[in-house]
Amino acid sequence: MAEEIKADKVVDARGSFCPGPLMELIKAYKEAKAGDVISVYSTDNGTKTDAPAWIKKSGNELIKIIDRNGYVEIVMKKVR
Amino acid sequence: MLAAKKVVILGDGAAGTIMANKLRMLTHSSETRIVVIGNSKKHYFKPDGVHIPFKLKRYQNSVKPTRFLFNYGVEYIFDEATGIDVSQRTVRLKSGNSTSYDYLIIATGDRFDYNEIPGYIGEARHFYDLQHSLELANILDSFNGGKIVIGPSSIPYQCPPAPYEFTFLLDKYLRDRGIRDKTEIHYTFPLNRVFTMENVANFVNRLFDERGIITHTLFNVESINGLNKTVTSIEGEDVKYDLLIMVPPHKGQKMITDSELAGPSGYIDVDRHKLSYKDYDDVFAIGDATNLPISKAGATAHFESEYLANRIAHEISGNVYDETYNGEVACTTITGAGKAMTLYFSYDRPPRAEFQSKMDYLLKWTSADTYFSGMLRGIM
Ligand SMILES: Cc1cc2nc3c(=O)[nH]c(=O)nc-3n(C[C@H](O)[C@H](O)[C@H](O)COP(=O)(O)OP(=O)(O)OC[C@H]3O[C@@H](n4cnc5c(N)ncnc54)[C@H](O)[C@@H]3O)c2cc1C
Repeated sequence: MAEEIKADKVVDARGSFCPGPLMELIKAYKEAKAGDVISVYSTDNGTKTDAPAWIKKSGNELIKIIDRNGYVEIVMKKVR
Repeated sequence: MLAAKKVVILGDGAAGTIMANKLRMLTHSSETRIVVIGNSKKHYFKPDGVHIPFKLKRYQNSVKPTRFLFNYGVEYIFDEATGIDVSQRTVRLKSGNSTSYDYLIIATGDRFDYNEIPGYIGEARHFYDLQHSLELANILDSFNGGKIVIGPSSIPYQCPPAPYEFTFLLDKYLRDRGIRDKTEIHYTFPLNRVFTMENVANFVNRLFDERGIITHTLFNVESINGLNKTVTSIEGEDVKYDLLIMVPPHKGQKMITDSELAGPSGYIDVDRHKLSYKDYDDVFAIGDATNLPISKAGATAHFESEYLANRIAHEISGNVYDETYNGEVACTTITGAGKAMTLYFSYDRPPRAEFQSKMDYLLKWTSADTYFSGMLRGIM
């Protein structure tokens, strides 16, 4: 059974177009503390590539990309 | 006879002025009063900000007294809105007065929040208002080579193409002065490409490559260190510079947040097809003040005003207006010395970036005249 990860912060950016979801994620990241898990929901196709690219470049950890019903959930951990 | 409906427009920039003048042309003063409340004495045509730092244009032609820009029959009040109460249909003003409305259109644009980036003030330059464009002209005059770093510090910001337009003109300026080979140009962008829309990004990237412009993507500015001349991104990258030209962080107006019409960003969530705020059918926002997923551009304000003026005029005269706003924008953007391209797009139709021409550049070059004499007046 897939282990459910509890997010410290959920960013619901559904309905927002690129680059909205990524910018929302960056905002949440700035407000979070190291170790926090952040989850972003997006209906924009671009987020699936943009958000993981940002998480990698910023030296954080991509935990999961989950295809949900009509949207994608991207879960990351703030490392730095 | 019924009393005239009172339409109050907050903001005397591109959106507020176009909206007021268009609505005036579509309504009779016996049915509709149009009141604009604004706090700027001068109306500056911001697109000229990419030319002014290179002394390609005289700024005097880019500025007009605000109060002369309204058509006959629009009441202009020089004041500042300090609070909005949508349940009471009133707006409080700095003068101590308040005003009521039947329709409220918020067109207060956005503002620069320099404090968001430690080290910005006194170190970074920009061309996003007249004063800073003029200062930059002097700085470029005495620049004799080194490393220039340019980019938007974060998203959103006004006119997404403006930083690359500036960069193309900078490249040409440095070549004309014979110091391009002594200068490195670095372009930073917050996303993993050099522009928000993918096909425009690919197009611009190719032109950057041809000109030897170095890019840093996924670069959201965190801080600036003036002592060792380094700009650092949230993503952890340090870039050294001799001259730093950074579009400042943008936010909506504080008055909007204080009035609880928006969160800390200050940008108002509106229905993307009706431009109305929440469930209110008498409160709207247009121009840079909204949270819509489209360019913060005068061209956007123009298309939005066309829709909204028609809708309100129909409603006031008791007619039905069943059109919607679909995110249409048409935007002419500079792609090199003497070259530009016009992008047409909407919420669900991305622009096609393929054709640059001298003619488009001419359109851009003369746009202050077209703007002041036609677009602002509501006749286009
Ligand atoms: C360098 C640069 C280049 C650009 N190039 C282009 C381009 O090529 N094409 C394009 O379409 N767009 C371009 N733009 C963007 C365009 O200028 C803006 O999107 C446009 O001005 C937005 O209009 P607005 O009315 O929403 O906001 P603004 O023009 O900023 O007007 C807002 C007005 O509201 C007033 N105000 C604010 N708060 C209050 C208050 N509380 N009470 C009363 N009044 C208030 C302000 O004083 C201001 O006059 C460019 C912008 C820049 C900076």
